[in-house]
Amino acid sequence: MKRTAVYPFTAIVGQEDMKMALILNVINPALGGVLIKGEKGTAKSTAVRALAELLPAMQAVHGCRFNCDPHNHNLFCDDCAKNYVSDAVCHIEDVKMRVVELPVSATEDRVVGTLDIEHAIKHGEKKFEAGILAQANRNILYVDEINLLDDHVVDVLLDAAAMGINTVEREGVSYSHPARFVLVGTMNPEEGDIRPQLLDRFGLSVVVTGEHDPSQRVEVIKRRLAYEDNADDFIAGYQEEQQALADKIMQAREALPNVTISDELLETVAKLAVELGVDGHRADITVIKTALTLAAFNEHQEVELSDVKVAAKLVLPHRMRRRPFEEGQLDWNKVVAFLEQEA
Amino acid sequence: MLHSIYPFTAVVGQSQAKRVILIALVNPRVGGLLIGGRKGSAKTTLVRAAQELIAPRKIIDLPLNVTEDMLFGSIDIEYAVSKGERRFLQGILGRANDNVLYIDEANLLRQELLTAVLDANTAGFNHVERDGISFTHEVNYTVIGTMNPEEGILPGHILDRFGMYVDVQGEAEIANRVEIIKRALAYGKDIAKFRKQYAESIVELHELVNVSRETLKQVEVTEAMMQLAAQMCAQAFCAGHRAEIYLLEAARAIAALEKRTYILPKDMQEAAVYVLAHRMRTPPETQEMEQEQQQNEEPEENQEQEQNQGEASEQSDELPPPPPLPDNEDDGSDENSDENNEQDEKQEEEQNSNQLAPEEQIADIDRTFKIPKLILDMGKNTTLRRGSGKRSTTKTDLKQGRYVRAELPKAKVEDLAFDATIRAAAPYQRMREANGCALNIQKEDLRQKVREKRIGNTFLFAVDASGSMGARERMRAVKGAIFYMLQDAYQKRDRVGMVAFRRQKVEVLLPITRSVDLAQKCLAEMPTGGKTPLADGLAIALLTLARINKKDSELEPILVLVTDGRANVVEGNEDPVASAIKMAEKIRKAKITSVVIDTENDFIKLGVAKKVAQAMGASYYSLNQLSKEQILRIVRNLGE
Repeated sequence: MKRTAVYPFTAIVGQEDMKMALILNVINPALGGVLIKGEKGTAKSTAVRALAELLPAMQAVHGCRFNCDPHNHNLFCDDCAKNYVSDAVCHIEDVKMRVVELPVSATEDRVVGTLDIEHAIKHGEKKFEAGILAQANRNILYVDEINLLDDHVVDVLLDAAAMGINTVEREGVSYSHPARFVLVGTMNPEEGDIRPQLLDRFGLSVVVTGEHDPSQRVEVIKRRLAYEDNADDFIAGYQEEQQALADKIMQAREALPNVTISDELLETVAKLAVELGVDGHRADITVIKTALTLAAFNEHQEVELSDVKVAAKLVLPHRMRRRPFEEGQLDWNKVVAFLEQEA
Repeated sequence: MLHSIYPFTAVVGQSQAKRVILIALVNPRVGGLLIGGRKGSAKTTLVRAAQELIAPRKIIDLPLNVTEDMLFGSIDIEYAVSKGERRFLQGILGRANDNVLYIDEANLLRQELLTAVLDANTAGFNHVERDGISFTHEVNYTVIGTMNPEEGILPGHILDRFGMYVDVQGEAEIANRVEIIKRALAYGKDIAKFRKQYAESIVELHELVNVSRETLKQVEVTEAMMQLAAQMCAQAFCAGHRAEIYLLEAARAIAALEKRTYILPKDMQEAAVYVLAHRMRTPPETQEMEQEQQQNEEPEENQEQEQNQGEASEQSDELPPPPPLPDNEDDGSDENSDENNEQDEKQEEEQNSNQLAPEEQIADIDRTFKIPKLILDMGKNTTLRRGSGKRSTTKTDLKQGRYVRAELPKAKVEDLAFDATIRAAAPYQRMREANGCALNIQKEDLRQKVREKRIGNTFLFAVDASGSMGARERMRAVKGAIFYMLQDAYQKRDRVGMVAFRRQKVEVLLPITRSVDLAQKCLAEMPTGGKTPLADGLAIALLTLARINKKDSELEPILVLVTDGRANVVEGNEDPVASAIKMAEKIRKAKITSVVIDTENDFIKLGVAKKVAQAMGASYYSLNQLSKEQILRIVRNLGE
């Protein structure tokens, strides 16, 4: 299929939180993805699809259908683990990180994978046919309208997201393979809620609203018209900015392992989590991971309070709701005051 | 993927959960373990980590996407094709033999499968009759399940099949939380290095499990301990005799872990925490009656009494105090309302501060209100429906929903079950002509998929918010009851809508939506006051439901009418009550499943709501009755 033109990520007007959340997940896929909530027409899907252009190349074991990382033996799929002898003889290829879409209408067998019918009929043998979760390994899994996803598909997503492994026991095949993906979901809250457990799987969440500033709105229109008029020219005009951002992402990826954080800040975040009464420990851990990633992006050697603040705003709001009906409003000023007082 | 396991000993805190997992690993006869807890509390991590403690035994996953043939076992296709013979191929249950069977999100697994898995283990064998295969094999595995109660809890009879239950919670200590973050970061940075740090402690623990399994064989159960077990279970009002066995087996494992060959009473006490928590029952009838009498006189003392009973069975600290009664069962005598007023003085003050109009007031929601589950007589749906949700299981004609099994096609095959078709064709391949493929499939082999999908219902709440309802705290109890139902709807992914009638008009507060959250907000903000246009309220409710029914006929609509029946307004000169009943009959003709909750609480009962219920063909409940039937829910700490 010929690739259709994609609206450049850097050409999206405003929506800074959403853009930042997406970039952070590209830098550090271990953050756990992002949920984007907002009304129709707020560039949610555009941003996610545009992200594909910025995704870095990565190394993968040659011919592996799960794109196993040749440098991380601990997470090899069964085939790679069996074939692996040593780093020297491992065939490596460069692949681009991708956005894999999971349509809301997808059936469970396509999501988790199933029996390879053709192979079974031709050869009388059972073979596993990989599904969307297999493609999604080490990539971004994008679910538009995630709140409308069928319950049983959500169940299998949860299953896989919990441990990064997809276990298939269906239609005569028994198979498991790595499925570590960055889950990106978009939803319009007016159309219904998302299950709390699925919500918790998202590392970050952002709420997008349409721009209110008239001049910004005009800019949105202008760019859209220019894009529709001549997509190629428009994209060429953003070439430089796109490249600069892609480079910055690469640099942040490299810097990330060396970013440090002080014990005091760790403690502050733990106290904040207790103060807010969030469930479990995922919130604390994700705030810290996000702060580290932000620091890498901002070229800080050590995490600063400002990084923690931004991270908290991306991580905490959707975890505030402890029970289905409790008002889960996060008083942002209180959080900031708390952080400043503690730090 | 064994090399990426987070070490068991690296999990900070969670001593109770760790302990109970060890017990389950040491003694397969404790009947399995269910771990409940909020998200992100290391449930799954702990169970996965147990893999390293039981090698060479394994943890076998039972994923939610499992099909029946894979679970129970079926015909070996490859063998059948090449040899033309039927041979049994083990399913998960076979593979789990002598291993640990792990079910993540056990509350989301189809319940009949969960029951089958647990029962096969109790019986000790798995009997398979499918695809022309008849086979029985022994099974002996340890079931460990995890679940997040937010997604709905398991019914009592399934809970009861799990030998032990433990609830895990996040750490509250700051220092521990910091340690958790640090370890998570260290693990993320370099898995191999992180695992090395804990390698030694893992080896030790592995050894402990192995040694304890040996010791277990020598741990004897004395007569005295049996007596103690029987006593404990009797105090907890456990049904059946499973509890005693599990209690003793758990105590045996504890003794073995402590390197003893005899059980001490403290082992029994520890075991009781895990074995009895989820199977304590309501005290028998007689005692309930006694309580009720006392309740009428001194409701508060009675609460203490109930608590004391809990303490007797050593579980009081795990059970929250019984919910305050939202309303008393006496027929609205002044005494009661006085009491209620006293209790809620504070709330009233709050209400007064933001009163809307002299006649209007907003009652808060009595969040502790618990009512027994309403039983809706809907039967199992046989008509094919579409939709998504969790309440009723139904067959679906779309190629959607979970593929549960295959059947012989009744008409033209549209949704071919390839796997079942191949299984059916496999044994005959040697007799059939070669066609270039390994399999020659003929028409008689074709099998059709049976899919099942859970359909959410549509609940429309028609709430009488007239002045008469606002009186005497009634609205607070009503809101409590509706809130309870909404909570249930939330877990079951139902759709809800809300219509309120008051002040001579009917408002659709909330059109049918999947956002139960919005419904809750509407409920909280619903003011009361004015007269009761009951007939109009029913008319609008019918209209709302008729509209939704046309739009997507897949969703079963249910009307919940909450009223005291004091209809006193209607357009024209008709009698308000008569026209309400007329409207109710229309609803019955529209075949809408309905429930009436009668809130009439006055000294002189008119019983209009009951008549309306009869006309509507509705199930009828009195709000008072509901509170009277309020059962001390043993597992309510699960349902929180």
